[in-house]
Amino acid sequence: MFIRAVEPNRELDAFRAEVCAFCEREMPTEVRSKQARGQHLERQEYDAWLKRLGTRGWLTGKWPKEHGGLGWSPEQFLAFQEELGRAGAPPLISFGPTMAGPVIYTFGTPEQKKKYLPGIIRNETWWCQGYSEPGAGSDLASLTTRAVRDGDAYVVNGQKIWTSMAHWADMIFALVRTDAGAKKQEGISFLLIDMKSPGITVRPIIGITLGHHLNEVFFENVRVPVENRIGEENKGWTYAKFLLANERVGNVDIAKVESYLAQIRRLLDATRDGGKPLSQEPLFQRRLAELEVGLATVKALMADQLAAARANGAPSLMGAAALKLRGTELVQAILQTGLEALGRHGMVYQSDALHAGWNGELIGPEESADVIYEHLYRRAATIYGGSSEVQKNIIAKGALGL
Amino acid sequence: MPSLSSEERQLLHDSLSEFLAENYSFERWKKLARGPEMEGFGRAEWAKYAELGWLGVALPEQAGGAGGGMTELGIVMAGAGRHLVLEPLLGTIVLGAGAIELAGTPEQREKLLPPIAGGKHLMAFCHAEPGAGYARDWVRAIARADGAGFVIDGEKSFAIGAHAADTLVVSARIESDQGPVGLFLVPRTAEGVRLNVAPALDGRLGATVGLVGAKIASEARLGDRDEDMLGVIDRLSDRGAIAVCAEACGAMAAVTQATVEYLKTRQQFGQPLSKFQVLQHRLVDMSVSGEEARAVVHAALQALDDGTSGAQRTAWAAKAQTARAARFVGSQAIQLHGGMGMTDELAIGHYYKRLTLCETLFGDGEWYLQQIGAAATASVVSV
Repeated sequence: MFIRAVEPNRELDAFRAEVCAFCEREMPTEVRSKQARGQHLERQEYDAWLKRLGTRGWLTGKWPKEHGGLGWSPEQFLAFQEELGRAGAPPLISFGPTMAGPVIYTFGTPEQKKKYLPGIIRNETWWCQGYSEPGAGSDLASLTTRAVRDGDAYVVNGQKIWTSMAHWADMIFALVRTDAGAKKQEGISFLLIDMKSPGITVRPIIGITLGHHLNEVFFENVRVPVENRIGEENKGWTYAKFLLANERVGNVDIAKVESYLAQIRRLLDATRDGGKPLSQEPLFQRRLAELEVGLATVKALMADQLAAARANGAPSLMGAAALKLRGTELVQAILQTGLEALGRHGMVYQSDALHAGWNGELIGPEESADVIYEHLYRRAATIYGGSSEVQKNIIAKGALGL
Repeated sequence: MPSLSSEERQLLHDSLSEFLAENYSFERWKKLARGPEMEGFGRAEWAKYAELGWLGVALPEQAGGAGGGMTELGIVMAGAGRHLVLEPLLGTIVLGAGAIELAGTPEQREKLLPPIAGGKHLMAFCHAEPGAGYARDWVRAIARADGAGFVIDGEKSFAIGAHAADTLVVSARIESDQGPVGLFLVPRTAEGVRLNVAPALDGRLGATVGLVGAKIASEARLGDRDEDMLGVIDRLSDRGAIAVCAEACGAMAAVTQATVEYLKTRQQFGQPLSKFQVLQHRLVDMSVSGEEARAVVHAALQALDDGTSGAQRTAWAAKAQTARAARFVGSQAIQLHGGMGMTDELAIGHYYKRLTLCETLFGDGEWYLQQIGAAATASVVSV
């Protein structure tokens, strides 16, 4: 206990300055202004910005150099993410760089690497994740989307759900059942599927945010070349687990949590109760103090994970799961506090204000729609990337040996 | 700032875990806590700690120490927390030695620190007073110059270990109730010092201290001027707070581990209790709470050693977080042990009691939240 040093790495200061200057110089005006107003980006706006980051290789900076990355340490990636957050840049999208990419360069064939990695590095290809199904959520291994071999192709039939950004994606990496007779984890294969393939239908799921982020993806006799399979047939679960472990740590964005807290502080300053700013009410002061304690704790967990990764080459299971559990709970607690302020303004939700070009009359604080949207959206933070309850099962088994 | 290398810290940690695992069983703990000597801890153990170098770990090398800082004290306190170590580490090596180091003249440090490292001198920090609550700047005791020394009058609240300390570090205003706050080294056996010895909630002995015309020599004042020591007391209180957090981290790790083991062996409904998911998740919540406290306490120890600008806020956050974790982990350890957890015979209840002390010493979680809230508001106003 307390043995390893956890101090921040000063060597990254120059890199941070470089990222900061880059954002200042290169972020498109419309991206900047929409971000500042909490408005949502169109695909082409997002794409233009990500492509600029891609010219520097920064989207995939943490990949090993041999696969076209920059060989960043986890700390450097975190510093990168923090600087983007401070500059008001939109969040990075993890499906290609953090999920598909590492699976492809770790388990893929030379042809697959050549074909897919450059598109991820330069953001020429948008990816989405075909994991969950209507009948397979937390019990992911019970998935039933079938792939039947027919010559040099698989014929895929079935349905995926909760597919974030499928409507923007060029490719989907999907888990499919290739052996219905085997034990459920042993009959699964990992396929890379072109979203333009005949037989794929994407249907939007409108969320409680009233936004379109999630989709259902239907596969009807979709032919997928056998060369698009990652690794061995029926070994897909191994690759899927590899990817989920990456997802757990990638799920907490400290810079984002900090910006939420700053936003809620502003909101409490701007909201009156009996004429007095809520931020001066003892109860809200106490709440903010609690959130500050939570943030200090999550930051310490993150620093500790980085130190563990440096020392042992990998984060600890307990630490990574603690970070996911508490990081997501903290985000929800921060946004809940924002909602309590908005109660004083009648809880108006003008979701149209989140789209550029809306010229209605805004009611209440400028932040209202954004805070409510984020509150509703982040309600899923303790569900996506492995629900909190599943995380606890993983710790119980993996770390406590229960 | 002072600190040892990771290898040296590892050696320190190993020395603690090996020695205590071998020599500080719960049976031994009971003998020491309730032995006929009525001191509530072991003198022989203390001498051994000195020999192993634990007592001087944060003292300068000239004083016979290892030159470490708060992080090293944290390692010692965490090791002690795992085994419910009874000896007065907090009063002596964190607070007593800390007061001398922060407030003493070079001569005082040279004279007073080596006996601490050598295990020859026990201390207790007697600053809080009835009416102070957790406030750190409340001092009503008064020290008046009298001939070559001082005469102190005042009342000090219950301090663990005061009953056995050779020296009490007593705060008192100099000359009048408006005077600066000085720190004085008062021999426990000085004339005019009256102790009311009592057990704390966890059974550890301590005492309240009444000073009625207590006469002490002029060199017993820390420092050589009528300097206000409230800043030093503030820093000492942060050190004390984070040291009990470190102790709590050790205790939480031990009691969580004991609870995991117990649930793996205890059979009910035809299977081990550890097979029930509701209990598995509770154990995970306990572990995660301990993990959170450990991480933020580590960050605070390091911030205090580095003297970073936000160190105090981080230390306060660590105390608030640890207080909450200590309550949860301690009470759930009893809950999951069921009736057995309620018995004096088992260690579990004693961990619960110690964690309760750790939660409250130097300010409980709510108090620290108040301080953080007030500081945040003040910083907004000043901007």
